[in-house]
Amino acid sequence: MIMNRRSLLTTALTLGAMKAFPGLSYAQARPLVFATFTGSWEEAHKAVLVPAFRKANADAAMVLDPMLSVDQIAKVNAAKANPPIDVMLHDPGPALVAIGQDLVEPYPVEKSAYYKDLIAEAQEPMGPAPFFQVVGLTYNPEAVKTPPTSWADLWKPEFKGRVGITNLNSTLGTGWLVEIAKMRGGSEANVDPGFKALEELKPNLAAVAANPGALATLFQQGQIDISPGNFNAIQILKARGVPVEFVAPKEGAIAFKTTIHVVKNSPNRELAFKLIEAALMPEVQTTLMNPPYLIVPTNSKVTMGGEIARVLAKDTAELKKKFVFQDWKKINEQRSAWIERFNREIKI
Amino acid sequence: MGAAPASRDVTSYGMGLAAPLALFFLIFFVAPLLQLFWLSLHNDTAGLHWGLGQYLHFLTDPFSLGVLGSTLLLGAEVTAVCLVLGFPIAWLYQRVGPKLQTIIILIVLLPLLTSVVVRTFAWIVILGRQGIINATLQSLGVIDTPLKLLYTQFGVVIALAQVQMPLMTLPLITALGRIDPNLDDASCSLGAGSWRTFFRIVLPLSLPGVIAGCTLTYAAAITAFITQSLVGGGQMLFMPMYLYQQASTLQNWPFAAAISIIFLLAVLAVVSVFTTLGRLSRGYGGA
Repeated sequence: MIMNRRSLLTTALTLGAMKAFPGLSYAQARPLVFATFTGSWEEAHKAVLVPAFRKANADAAMVLDPMLSVDQIAKVNAAKANPPIDVMLHDPGPALVAIGQDLVEPYPVEKSAYYKDLIAEAQEPMGPAPFFQVVGLTYNPEAVKTPPTSWADLWKPEFKGRVGITNLNSTLGTGWLVEIAKMRGGSEANVDPGFKALEELKPNLAAVAANPGALATLFQQGQIDISPGNFNAIQILKARGVPVEFVAPKEGAIAFKTTIHVVKNSPNRELAFKLIEAALMPEVQTTLMNPPYLIVPTNSKVTMGGEIARVLAKDTAELKKKFVFQDWKKINEQRSAWIERFNREIKI
Repeated sequence: MGAAPASRDVTSYGMGLAAPLALFFLIFFVAPLLQLFWLSLHNDTAGLHWGLGQYLHFLTDPFSLGVLGSTLLLGAEVTAVCLVLGFPIAWLYQRVGPKLQTIIILIVLLPLLTSVVVRTFAWIVILGRQGIINATLQSLGVIDTPLKLLYTQFGVVIALAQVQMPLMTLPLITALGRIDPNLDDASCSLGAGSWRTFFRIVLPLSLPGVIAGCTLTYAAAITAFITQSLVGGGQMLFMPMYLYQQASTLQNWPFAAAISIIFLLAVLAVVSVFTTLGRLSRGYGGA
């Protein structure tokens, strides 16, 4: 073999690259990758779910790679045969997209120890729901003396210029619009009454936030006093001393199933299943229900307690009565048309 | 290794040193851009049917064109505010002692040292209902009810102008520094007033800096997704948010790709106007 300068350089570069990007050399034996959501979800999963999984599986290696649902879908789509993610977490809309694009495997229900204990709404054969996200009314108790009880309270004249909403980019915004439409005789297939109601809400609107996170800032700044809001986001604000309260409206709080899926062609299929099992365990769900996480459990063996029992539901039976689930298959069909319409019609 | 030519032409430069950067751009900029363009030429979201449907959709839709127009207008407003406010600072910089110069440059650079998100949040605090402006005006008795400043076009322009100000001021400082101060004195001694000197001498000679500053500010202002969405809110739609909505929420990648290409071309058009002006001004300044 003749060694000249060029081949020496190539070899050195290759070795250097393998050192710098170890993924190149052992792509097959990578640890389990769980794409959770960013922010408080990541914190909760790092602190509770990962240790529980490790303990049950002889310290198996795993990494959290937090990213938005849409990014998870894009990444898996780009490498379907050898996906860089093993477990995905999705809101109802993106979950249907992922299933529709054939990116996830059916959950091995018969092998699962906990699946049958989940409340009926959380039993999704393509990927169960380890927790719910709940949307209700959020208000500033210093400015709003009588707590609101219904979505209809947002239209009260006393809230002129005090109401905040989000646009339809978020699951929250879209779900809320559907609920408003339902209140006025519409449905997932017909949100016209919802748009009419929005038109009437305009005098009260102080802000249309670009995302639910921005609503939190608006409460802090006194820009708004009342809005639809996510239970978990409000608890975080409350813990930081912002005067906000959450109340489930009498029409029912909107519950979104956040589902967890095994990615198709995952090289770590067995561990992925084990991680999802850990997320469904009553012990893990109980810890996640307690402060500071306050994540709504889906396993019926979990006894509700604390803030969740106080403002949402004392047990699974009450939870079923007070929560409203929506048909996201129907919603997804027309969502883009609604977003377009919202863009055009809602100018304040 | 090729043999070196016997007599090397000293006026030509080898491009070899630029090759790594060129390669980097080729892989991480040109290739994705071509992919984006390829994607935009599909009529369906799965990317199976070829066609110009996405472009037709955008260019025949008054709403989409309105979004493009308001984004380009926003950039013009921000650039104008930056220019009017930034020029005096740059001018002052050239006329104070070294100590004050350090202070001015520090003040100009300070915004660059904090994250855009932090700067934008500061503006939410300033412009809010209980913010500094409203609180001051109310305590002075000028207004009874708080003014709506946040989530308005005015708010976005002001916040963006502050956030992007260094991009305008720094090229201006450089350009003004290149002008020989004797020219001012000469102009005055020949009988021109201060304003006449400014418009006939200082402004034309600083035009290259003005053009550079305007190009940078403009490009940064229209693409400032974070500031636009945090201060403008969800009902003021500008191109970056429109793009995000289509790509991320609706998964309509071909349309999002078409929006990006149209936006890119629109921005290139504006920037090339600036550059043409710059070339003209160089001729003018040298004359």
